[in-house]
Amino acid sequence: MKIDIHSGAYRCCDGIKRRSFLRTGALMLGGLSLAGLLRRQAMAAAAGQAKKDISVILFWQGGGPSQLDMWDLKPDAPSEFRGSFNPINTNLDGLQVCEHMPRIAKVCDKLTLLRSVTHGDAGHESATHTLLTGYKPTNDIPANEAPSYGSVVAKEMGPRVDGFPAYVTVPTAPKSSAAAYLGVAYNPFETQGDPNAENFSVQNLKIPGGLTLDRLENRRAVLKHFDTLRRDIDGSGLISGMDTFAQQAYEIVTSPKVQTAFDISKEDAKTRDMYGRTTWGQNTLLARRLIESGVRFVTVNVGGWDTHANNFEELKNKKLPQYDQAFAALIEDLAQRGQLDSTLVLSWGEFGRTPRINKDAGRDHWSNVFSVAMAGGGLKKGFVLGESDARAEFPKERPVSPQDVLSTMYHLLGINQAKEYMNEAQRPSPILNYGEPIKEIIA
Amino acid sequence: MLRRSIYFAMLASAASVGFAVDAPRISEVIVEPAEIVLTDADQSVQFLVTLKMSDGTLRDGTRQAEYAIQLAEGSGAPESVAAVEHGRLVPKGDGAVMVVTTVTDPVSGKKAGASAKATVQNFAVERELHFVNDIEPILTKTGCNAGGCHGKQSGQNGFKLSLFAFEPKFDYDALVNEAHGRRVFPASPEESLLLKKSTGATVHGGGSRFDEKSESYKLLARWIAQGVPYGDEKAPTVARIEVLPRERLLAGVGEQQLRVIAHFTDGAAHDVTRQAEYKAQQPDILKVEPTGLVTTLGHTGEGAVMVRYMGQVDVARVAVPFSRGLPESAYAQFEPKNFVDNLVAEKWRKLGIAPSAVCSDAEFLRRASLDAIGTLPTPEETQKFLADTAPDKRDRLIDSLLERNEYASYWANQWGDLLRVKRGGNNELKAGTFAFSGWLRNAFAQNMPYDQFVRAILTAQGESAENPPINWYRHVRNTVAMVNDTSQLFMGTRISCANCHNHPYERITQDDYWGFGAFFGRLSFKRGLGNEQAVIVKKDGGVNQPRTGQSMKPKGLGGPEYEYVRGEDPRQKLADWLTEPGNPYFAKAIVNRTWAHFMGVGLVEAVDDMRVTNPPSNPQLLDALAKDFTDYRYDLKHLVATIMKSRAYSLSSEPTEFNKTDRQNYARYTPKRLSAETLLDAIGNVTGTQEKFAGLPLGTRAIDLPDESVPSYFLKVFGRSMRESACECERSYAPNLSQILHLMNSPEVQDKIASDKGRLAAMLKDKKPDDQILTEFYLRAFGRTPKPDELKDATAMLASAKDRKSALEDFEWMFLNSKEFLFNH
Repeated sequence: MKIDIHSGAYRCCDGIKRRSFLRTGALMLGGLSLAGLLRRQAMAAAAGQAKKDISVILFWQGGGPSQLDMWDLKPDAPSEFRGSFNPINTNLDGLQVCEHMPRIAKVCDKLTLLRSVTHGDAGHESATHTLLTGYKPTNDIPANEAPSYGSVVAKEMGPRVDGFPAYVTVPTAPKSSAAAYLGVAYNPFETQGDPNAENFSVQNLKIPGGLTLDRLENRRAVLKHFDTLRRDIDGSGLISGMDTFAQQAYEIVTSPKVQTAFDISKEDAKTRDMYGRTTWGQNTLLARRLIESGVRFVTVNVGGWDTHANNFEELKNKKLPQYDQAFAALIEDLAQRGQLDSTLVLSWGEFGRTPRINKDAGRDHWSNVFSVAMAGGGLKKGFVLGESDARAEFPKERPVSPQDVLSTMYHLLGINQAKEYMNEAQRPSPILNYGEPIKEIIA
Repeated sequence: MLRRSIYFAMLASAASVGFAVDAPRISEVIVEPAEIVLTDADQSVQFLVTLKMSDGTLRDGTRQAEYAIQLAEGSGAPESVAAVEHGRLVPKGDGAVMVVTTVTDPVSGKKAGASAKATVQNFAVERELHFVNDIEPILTKTGCNAGGCHGKQSGQNGFKLSLFAFEPKFDYDALVNEAHGRRVFPASPEESLLLKKSTGATVHGGGSRFDEKSESYKLLARWIAQGVPYGDEKAPTVARIEVLPRERLLAGVGEQQLRVIAHFTDGAAHDVTRQAEYKAQQPDILKVEPTGLVTTLGHTGEGAVMVRYMGQVDVARVAVPFSRGLPESAYAQFEPKNFVDNLVAEKWRKLGIAPSAVCSDAEFLRRASLDAIGTLPTPEETQKFLADTAPDKRDRLIDSLLERNEYASYWANQWGDLLRVKRGGNNELKAGTFAFSGWLRNAFAQNMPYDQFVRAILTAQGESAENPPINWYRHVRNTVAMVNDTSQLFMGTRISCANCHNHPYERITQDDYWGFGAFFGRLSFKRGLGNEQAVIVKKDGGVNQPRTGQSMKPKGLGGPEYEYVRGEDPRQKLADWLTEPGNPYFAKAIVNRTWAHFMGVGLVEAVDDMRVTNPPSNPQLLDALAKDFTDYRYDLKHLVATIMKSRAYSLSSEPTEFNKTDRQNYARYTPKRLSAETLLDAIGNVTGTQEKFAGLPLGTRAIDLPDESVPSYFLKVFGRSMRESACECERSYAPNLSQILHLMNSPEVQDKIASDKGRLAAMLKDKKPDDQILTEFYLRAFGRTPKPDELKDATAMLASAKDRKSALEDFEWMFLNSKEFLFNH
């Protein structure tokens, strides 16, 4: 079968063709000991807990954002490491962030910051796969082998309100965002387009002129009766996936509530300004609208962090101003609306960037330590976990794996990470095969 | 009859619970190798004990066998010469012994056996270890120099090794001379950082890789104690490795020991089973231990184990049959038409699967039309084909399809993806993309032989207007891109990793890569007429290997080295090498691509990732297709016709009990969703409307679009390729919510249905009755006439409708949203 690649809106240095190699040596977090197995089983037993009504907003910073220039500045490091940005104080005692994130500095009392995340894989595609699915890719093909956690959450929890799609990406899905063996029905819905544009609307949600709900109902009845192609001719799940989408599409089209949720023009001008009249700002606001209305998981695709050259100019002039305003506005807005505790926000990319600045004033791939910003959903408010060493090269204390972060997310949502699904080869595969909730950051 | 069905039922249950109904017995025991000579204390040999069973199958008996050692000559204790551990012979002292292998038949309890002779020499002579041949394999097998660790470009924690040991001198320097000599410490080997880190005695990010008792540790310690010798730089190196057995059928839960032999440049051969690395290609079907023991995990299907040692690779193929051999009657309905059929059937028999029935004529016409020309058959074509009673009508249909204009359009469109016919929104490039896509259409219309087609692209030079294929070089602009795209497109192999280091899964070195690059060493660009680009070939110039700085001579992979000749375009030599009949890549790459297009799954998947370690599912078939294609002078239409005229292509997509779990052996047709362009055209065809693409005449078909920058929301959500890579995978067939919303609820589709210039409007104007209108849509969308009950139900529904036109529109909508329409099946 043909392989689906999601062509993200942003490309990395090595283009979309890069092959991800099996990294036989990078097993430092991967082994599953007997003790680990027992823990997993115990956790599975404990996780009989009910699912919680929590939604997730993922900021996917594809390309790999620089830990040293955002969350983990090292003003005392030699100049070839520290870079040109200065730290500023935040409203959380003792925490400083980059001077180009002034708005975020004012919401740090609501964040949980991890400064010691590490995984040791510096390839875009393979690390993206790991960070978006929790699984290291086993085959050296650029395919979505394991389900993205957006798909897992969609499958496990469904939409927050019936009739909504469970999993949406604004605007497009990064690679490795698909459902793999959970089935195409749990692939994300992409809003496409730019909500900052004048006449933006998500296509085909409203019934076209000249038609009525009754007509659509009648058409569906006719389709049901006459669409008799045997479904078992297709072993790949494409046909059954289409059936599921048809059901979803029908629910969306018949629901004014869904239409409104996707319609960003319904938002007042002041709020739109607060998020910033930028593509990222309005995408973030759209994500908030969707979560508030009934979507369970939204990925905000804010890519382009692969700053091999001109890292500082690029961050200062392009990335950080948009990111700062959008991210801070989201946290503030959710808090004001009383939705922060029911919305988990996670912001990361596939890795961080090399502490040593390269000859092009850029920073290259660095996966040995990087920072992750989280908020809400039952996390502590105003908490910093872990520390990197003097040059932000390696964790100094409390190393955390991406799988630990995901395990924390599943724990907060009440999803049992030991639950198994059959993969393509009908072999049971757990939602997450290792990683433990980070107890220190859970409120 | 009753008897046969019972037999079938028993087979099915036997396959599912995994035990044999009538267990076969051992008829012969074979031990390999039968004669062993170990010339130093570090060598060992893995035995392979193969049991020939009474039913003709082969089983591995290596682990269950008992091994007894007897003295062959001289006197003394046999144990002081050699011992066998887990089927591996290890030397203990000089001498000669017989190893007597005994296996007990689990059914009869009888013992059977065979023996081998082993001689050990020079056991007490301490050999000086060789860095390249003894030490590097340890650093590779234990993962030290892997891409995630010290082998990555920036190294790890200040210690860098070359990836998978492709630069031994660099590695030697890193170990011995860097870090103030702390890594190796001959005065006290156990204090060496290399050993302390590897065992985890000192904090090591990579954890403990082996312990003090391991052979790796002992060998490294000995090497350090010997004063870290590099060894003779001219010592023989590994020329190739060989894994045994190469292919084996296993039970659902079974095991197979592998044995790996390294053949050196001086002709010597050594067992490296313990030193080689293994990787299961299908980790769901099998797993493999570092000792080379393969275990199947209880699932049916095929798998492969990649073996790597010292930059050389080989692969062992393992299959777990779906059932234990079906009776001939399961194949009785399948009449082979050409060599394709014999070869697919051979594979079915081996795996215990059987084909579905042959599809109906209507199905065949629709299928063949969509696959060959990306176009639905018209009602007239369908009626005519169904009425034709000649036995060769399917073959004649195929011949006629290949002469249609749409054949050229459709294949030019697909090749446009791969050849990056794209302007990326820049209208200045439009003349070039239009010219190139026109050239492609012409090439397919004329059935340009494939070797000439490839040569024309690869060796293009001059102005775009005169020579449109130069536009390939518009987006393939540097040596790296040229090498990568050429190999992926025309050789079906991806070698981009060898740009920076030796290919980890193929016998391709960085020198090979840049020798290939040297073919493009004289290419240059300049501004041509208007804003076009022109490709020129310089009289001189070449390419240097970036790591060694060495100037490279042009050389195909595994091909001869050419000398640069002043004034000559070396790309002609590349085209010569590529298109000569003996080239190992060229024909296989295109036949696999073409096969995958029609049959849904490539003989190698992904279609452009052919390599030793990603073997074809049916190598005999791939070879036969490639030979036939070469014999017919690279005639693409002949290739297409060979595939389409096979019986295998005409099988129904409906699964049977005996093929439902298999998806790669062509026992039934693999349904495909219509591609973005084909589907958009098909909607136009059914609704009788024309699409208006910006800047192009009304009625331009989607398969005729000249490039990727013609805007279309429809094509985007249905997965058109943006032509950013040479990979077929860029085009997507996966469904999504946006597609369904568009088909179900877009103004665009509704407008086509309700158009007053559309098909329905015209038929209403002609006062056609309901049954005729319905039949027309059935023929258009599904390529068949309605079944009586379908027609009855539909006409009844229409008769009771309040508004006939609306009701008919609703039916038309149904056709467009049906799976029977959206899929080619």
